[in-house]
Amino acid sequence: MLNLTPYILGLPLLGFLVVGLFGKRMSKAVIGGIACSAILLAFLCAVADFFSMLGQSVANRSNDVTLFHWVASGTLTINFGLLSDQLSAVMLLIVTGVGFLIHVYSIGYMGDDEGYWRFFSFLNLFVFAMALLVAADNFLFLLVGWAGVGLASFLLIGFWYTRPSAVAAARKAFVVNVIGDFGLMLAIFMLFKFFHTLDYSRIFLGISQRNVAPSPLPPPSPITGDVLTAIALLLFVAAVAKSAQLPLHVWLPDAMEGPTPVSALIHAATMVTAGVYLVARAAPIFTAAPNALVVVGIIGGASSLFAATIACVQTDIKRVLAYSTMSQLGYMFMGEAAGGFSTGIFHLTTHAYFKALLFMCAGAVIHALGGEQDMRKMGGLRSRLPYTFWMFVASGLALAAIFPFAGFWSKDAILAAIFSTAQAHTNPVWWILYAVGILTAALTGFYTFRLIFTVFLGSYRGTEVPAHGVAAVARNGNGNGNGSRNDPLANVHEVGAAMLIPMAILAVLSIIGGFDGIPRHSAIGDFLAPVLGVSPDLSGGLFWFSLLLSLAAALIGIGIAWVRYGVRQHTFAPARGLVKFLERRYYIDDLYNAVIVVPIVAVGNVLRNFAEDAALDGGSRGVARTVGATSRGLRRLQTGYVRNYALAIFVGAALIVLFYVIHP
Amino acid sequence: MGEMPVTAYLIVSALLFTIGTIGVLVRRNPLVMFMSIELMLNAVNLSFMAFAHFLNSVDGWMFVFLVLTVAAAEVVVGLAIIVSIFRTRRSIDVDDLNSLKG
Repeated sequence: MLNLTPYILGLPLLGFLVVGLFGKRMSKAVIGGIACSAILLAFLCAVADFFSMLGQSVANRSNDVTLFHWVASGTLTINFGLLSDQLSAVMLLIVTGVGFLIHVYSIGYMGDDEGYWRFFSFLNLFVFAMALLVAADNFLFLLVGWAGVGLASFLLIGFWYTRPSAVAAARKAFVVNVIGDFGLMLAIFMLFKFFHTLDYSRIFLGISQRNVAPSPLPPPSPITGDVLTAIALLLFVAAVAKSAQLPLHVWLPDAMEGPTPVSALIHAATMVTAGVYLVARAAPIFTAAPNALVVVGIIGGASSLFAATIACVQTDIKRVLAYSTMSQLGYMFMGEAAGGFSTGIFHLTTHAYFKALLFMCAGAVIHALGGEQDMRKMGGLRSRLPYTFWMFVASGLALAAIFPFAGFWSKDAILAAIFSTAQAHTNPVWWILYAVGILTAALTGFYTFRLIFTVFLGSYRGTEVPAHGVAAVARNGNGNGNGSRNDPLANVHEVGAAMLIPMAILAVLSIIGGFDGIPRHSAIGDFLAPVLGVSPDLSGGLFWFSLLLSLAAALIGIGIAWVRYGVRQHTFAPARGLVKFLERRYYIDDLYNAVIVVPIVAVGNVLRNFAEDAALDGGSRGVARTVGATSRGLRRLQTGYVRNYALAIFVGAALIVLFYVIHP
Repeated sequence: MGEMPVTAYLIVSALLFTIGTIGVLVRRNPLVMFMSIELMLNAVNLSFMAFAHFLNSVDGWMFVFLVLTVAAAEVVVGLAIIVSIFRTRRSIDVDDLNSLKG
């Protein structure tokens, strides 16, 4: 079987190194060409691998290549191995494919930016780290990729490093992600303690033959269900941080400080999907720990509902999308918790299409309006940005899960998996999760179309858009367009081809991208089944009931949005009551700030003022001052007069003689 | 007339040494200081000679030759330095030469 995985990793790494080291002296065309072709070639390798894999029989589709031995210490042996199986193939296709489209889009979006080469080298690094994460065949290299993704996201969120808010957001993302890295590390320690290996295949073998560790040494204690639950929960801590679920979601909305293509990359192809991938990859561990799966389901359901409610009141166009990502990731975790690991991955793929497109459309709107992100100051852009409008609608319908758009099939598969699990278990939590899923579907329809109607319908509410690129026009036009003789949108224009073409490809994928997962004929489900197992599904009347229920919920949500925001111009009153509570994001950020950040900063200030200044600096400065004072005294002895020196020598000699006279 | 005791030579030597020391300490002309140093050296030479004679040993003679050689070399270097200083500063007063003052 063809295995080009080393090239899928190597090409983005090479692109990162070349652009990162020499990009400063290259022209923008060369930088964009190198960075994009690296990802394009990686994508073509992934496609070749995928079709080669399809040509094999199901039993032969998994292929593990060890490139070199990295660590061999006692019983610990770590190989740099790349696993090419169905799950990594799907993930690599998404990472490199959607990643490539975002690269092309960035050529247009970042065209005026001074840090062009820096941006593209970081993008390549991001894709490399994510590819390493999904292609590794053991947990240690998964961790390497995991941390690399964290680093790349830090660099890109803080890309505009002269903005204090961007720097703060990057730092926040990094700190929150390190909490997850810590969980992953603890999980790895436990895996090694009980299995004496970190390879996926041997760990999963060890679980299937419980208590038979695949190693010469016996495990220190039997591998019980509790041990597996602990490992699964630690892995899930890592997934929660990376995939921005409660309670570690706080970094994701702030990450909107990065350039919009970065948001698209983080939300669609890399980063947040890592948590979903980790749970799917560790499916045998989670399946053997049903209690941990309940936790995964509860966290996922809570996050999806929580984020959807917040998304309903946000006024920043990108933050709405950020919370919707958190909500959709909650869906994926719910699906995985219900045993439908392949439904989670299926939703990950469709979500990658339409969420990347949503961010690109949002970027196009922001670009057209010269940097404006507040949707209260938008409106009526449909005629100015016709392509963007229709693609926004297509991706919005996919997000809201309307038949037959991509999101419909994947979300329905998840809901069916939850429904089916709820039937099979006595635990009422699954019924609650199903209800949460339906409610969130309605909220999703509402906030998605609230966004679209507010931005594209009605009349324009902002100020005049200055001509960007050229010196801004001094005139300050009246905002409404009625009072001003000039059109405030005169400078608004549709984006260029470099941005529109990737958007168009993603728009097609948002429409047809779900057809590989049609219920009961799910190509992707069958493809992933050898790795992830068969997802629970519904049959007969219940199948149609669930399908129509979620569709109806979404349509109700869209309908409410149409009544409130579509048919007439909505006036945004200052938020109060429940809306204010939601707009302040349940005060969770404020709570973390008060409970964690403020005390830490206070302790830091105390230490800086007293420990650092007084004790540490004071100590070292005291030594320096003593030496200085001593030498200031001693230099008086150096008079420069020869005769003084001669006298000193004479007196010294006389004293020595005197000494020997007294003590013969 | 009997042989003079060794203490007589040593008293002369001590006197010469003291005169030389005082000369180095109080005079500001480096040439005079050199002369005083020569006086000190030769005072020491005198006591070496006296001891060599009274102890019937040649060690003292050898030291005297050594001291004379070193003194000659020292005077050569010292005078060269004095000439060089005079060329740059037009003065050889040692109290003016205090640029190494701390």
